[in-house]
Amino acid sequence: MMRDEYLGVFIDESREAIQRMNDILLEVEQDPENMEAINELFRILHTLKGMAGTMEFNTMMTLCHRMENVLDEIRNGRMKLTEDIIDKLFKGADILDQMLNMIAEEGTDELTDVDVEGLIGHFESILGQSPGGGKASGKEEKREESVEEEGESKEEEEESLPIEVTDELIHVAKEAEKKGFKTYYIKVFLKEGTQLKAARMYLVFHKIEDMGGEILRTNPSVEDIEDEKFDWDVDLIVVAKQDTEKLLKALSSVSDVDRVIIKEVSLEEVKKQQEKKEEKPKEIETKKAPSSSPASPATSKDHDKKKKKITQTVRVDIEKLDTLMNLMGELVIARSRIVETLKKYNIKEIDESLAQLSRITLDLQNIVMKIRMVPIAYVFNRFPRMVRDLAKQMNKEVNFIIKGEDTELDRTFVEEIGDPILHLLRNAIDHGIESKEERIAKGKPPVGTIVLSARHEGNNVVIEVSDDGRGLDREKIARKAIERGLIDETRAATLPDEEIFQLIFLPGFSTKDQVTEVSGRGVGMDVVKNVVESLKGSVSIESQKDKGTRVTIRLPLTLAIIQALLVKVNDLVYAIPIASIDSTLKITKDDIQVVQDQEVVVIRQEVIPIIKLWETLQIPHDEESESMNVVIIRIGNKKYGVVVDTLIGQDDIVIKSLGKLFRDVKEFSGGAVLGDGSIALILDVTNLAV
Amino acid sequence: MEVNEKEAVKEFEALSFSIGDQEMAFDVDYVEQVIDKPEITPVPKSKPMIKGIINLRGRIVPIIDLADVLGSYVDESKYESIVVVKYNDIEAGFLVESVNGVLRASTSEVEGIGSLEKYGEKSKGLIKKGNRLVVYLEVSRIIDEIAGEEL
Repeated sequence: MMRDEYLGVFIDESREAIQRMNDILLEVEQDPENMEAINELFRILHTLKGMAGTMEFNTMMTLCHRMENVLDEIRNGRMKLTEDIIDKLFKGADILDQMLNMIAEEGTDELTDVDVEGLIGHFESILGQSPGGGKASGKEEKREESVEEEGESKEEEEESLPIEVTDELIHVAKEAEKKGFKTYYIKVFLKEGTQLKAARMYLVFHKIEDMGGEILRTNPSVEDIEDEKFDWDVDLIVVAKQDTEKLLKALSSVSDVDRVIIKEVSLEEVKKQQEKKEEKPKEIETKKAPSSSPASPATSKDHDKKKKKITQTVRVDIEKLDTLMNLMGELVIARSRIVETLKKYNIKEIDESLAQLSRITLDLQNIVMKIRMVPIAYVFNRFPRMVRDLAKQMNKEVNFIIKGEDTELDRTFVEEIGDPILHLLRNAIDHGIESKEERIAKGKPPVGTIVLSARHEGNNVVIEVSDDGRGLDREKIARKAIERGLIDETRAATLPDEEIFQLIFLPGFSTKDQVTEVSGRGVGMDVVKNVVESLKGSVSIESQKDKGTRVTIRLPLTLAIIQALLVKVNDLVYAIPIASIDSTLKITKDDIQVVQDQEVVVIRQEVIPIIKLWETLQIPHDEESESMNVVIIRIGNKKYGVVVDTLIGQDDIVIKSLGKLFRDVKEFSGGAVLGDGSIALILDVTNLAV
Repeated sequence: MEVNEKEAVKEFEALSFSIGDQEMAFDVDYVEQVIDKPEITPVPKSKPMIKGIINLRGRIVPIIDLADVLGSYVDESKYESIVVVKYNDIEAGFLVESVNGVLRASTSEVEGIGSLEKYGEKSKGLIKKGNRLVVYLEVSRIIDEIAGEEL
């Protein structure tokens, strides 16, 4: 039961831990002497081990433990950090990640197709050469630690009882004492930096109750403990039949318990004492916090560093944010209604309050929008590790630079955009960056550079992947395109580079002569294009021979709000996303020509097919008038025109799904509530064309 | 245990409304609210029984012509209210002529489906209350049928 309750937290926190592990491993790989980083790695694994132990994922715990042991040997100078060990640690991080996925999906950390035992064995054999790293189990080791540190601050605690002793408490304790129980004051210190504190304390309580003991009072209260409203220590009044030593042993064995102080007490006397010096306990209380700092200065330094990084955050269900958005929308609509109504009466006094209300709603709307945004670092984080692995696999040397990872984008993009970027990075490593020898021969720096950057540009998020590799080969692409019948020879000769390069986004296009494991299966670029376009964005590519290639992805800031052109047919308003509009124009009936049963207009020598919205949507419509409004839509390289009655204007609209009952309607991508409360259907322009 | 429950007489509540001279009812568990019929925005090319969508407190809710679903016809101008239901995360509004209120009945007052073949599984039976005969509709079946039609 407890496991379920904490599983989500466990998975989230472990994910973060593994991500950090990967980051730090990359650092360590560059600089194997970086003791601070090794210490941090050790600490992360230690925490992870503790968490896995609490959640009873024993294989995971064992793996963490072995990795931790190896790191311990290294940081104590008993072993050298070799490339092999780093590789194994990377492997370990991968397996931990897989275990975590397994836990999330199946609830077990047992991986069927991965040789975890083998890796654990490997770490053990590494340890075998070192004196300190035998087969000590996690629990034993921890007990050693707790004993070691116990003496340090024991005296300070001796005098006071930071729990208020009431008559009632004394009464209960006395009753228990009659049945052979003894009353204890127990102080439990968790290790600083421990995750899942509440779960840890739960285990402590559980242990006491398992032994037949009973917890009479806690400080802080049980509720506060459950809410993790305590530092690292908790005071308990407990009745139990066991002696001090047994209790100490049992409680110290709980994972992540730093040390335990147990004293047999007589509550009556304590009460007398407390009455005597009422102020003193408070003093001691404040003194206590610093006294429980860990022994090694290195870890406390790490701890400070970590503290700085933590910003106060709350995890919120995205559904709640959507609800908040909805309510915001309603608020805006309600406000416009009030404004409309009051216009009739022209009351001066209200104007100011209304203006203020408008400002506040606008601010609110902005904040709600911002809540949906997350830094792109969430996507970028995993790439350094992947680039390292790929480069190693391809036998290339790459200097990977990330810029602008603070750039924020809509949460919904985070899951989608990772794969396309990975494709681009793969391409850059595999096709772009040349081998060391080739680079030297070309007079370039021997190590290739790949830059992944993100930035805001107007209402867009721009993500770029650029490399200083060999660049795209125009001739090769053109030849391939002709081979595949995508263009003919004369056209290939006249097209500008830019348009030739665009050809690689077509399905099934791959110019790499040899299909490699990394890329070149001919699926890369069209997948990139599809994903980006499904997110209402665009991709473009620039390249110069032997200078490099740059692929630019443009995404709207958010999917929830888009800019749209509102148009009218009959009495109904439809919205067309601005991103897919090329231009608008007025035509007369005579401008329309018919080519092969298709109505077209010719604009600047370009033949553009047109559709009449009412015909496409099969709604009754009067005879068309002499002049008509046409919205020219551009999808990739194709254009078509949509004839509508009137153009109303541009507006920011909030996209809402039409729901499951409209799954069969392909013409609309959603609906939007307009300022007056009416609904505009949003045209899905990719599904309108003939 | 389940068998016992089925056989035991159970009390239930249903929201009763009228469509084309016929009194019908939905189980109150499904009903979210009843609203006056607002302006309905038609959605071209959607299924015929879906009359369009409305803006219900910022949410877009499809509006269904219940008479059409049940194979009869009622002039749209006669509808005055909408019963909003929610089932399986699908929110939908059903057009009705008038809402009569909540009906308390027990399972003993419900007559089997046999007499109501034209509604098939969309009805759980007829509730007999004195001289009132109320068609007891199965909301989940109706919505499943509309949602699943294209599959």
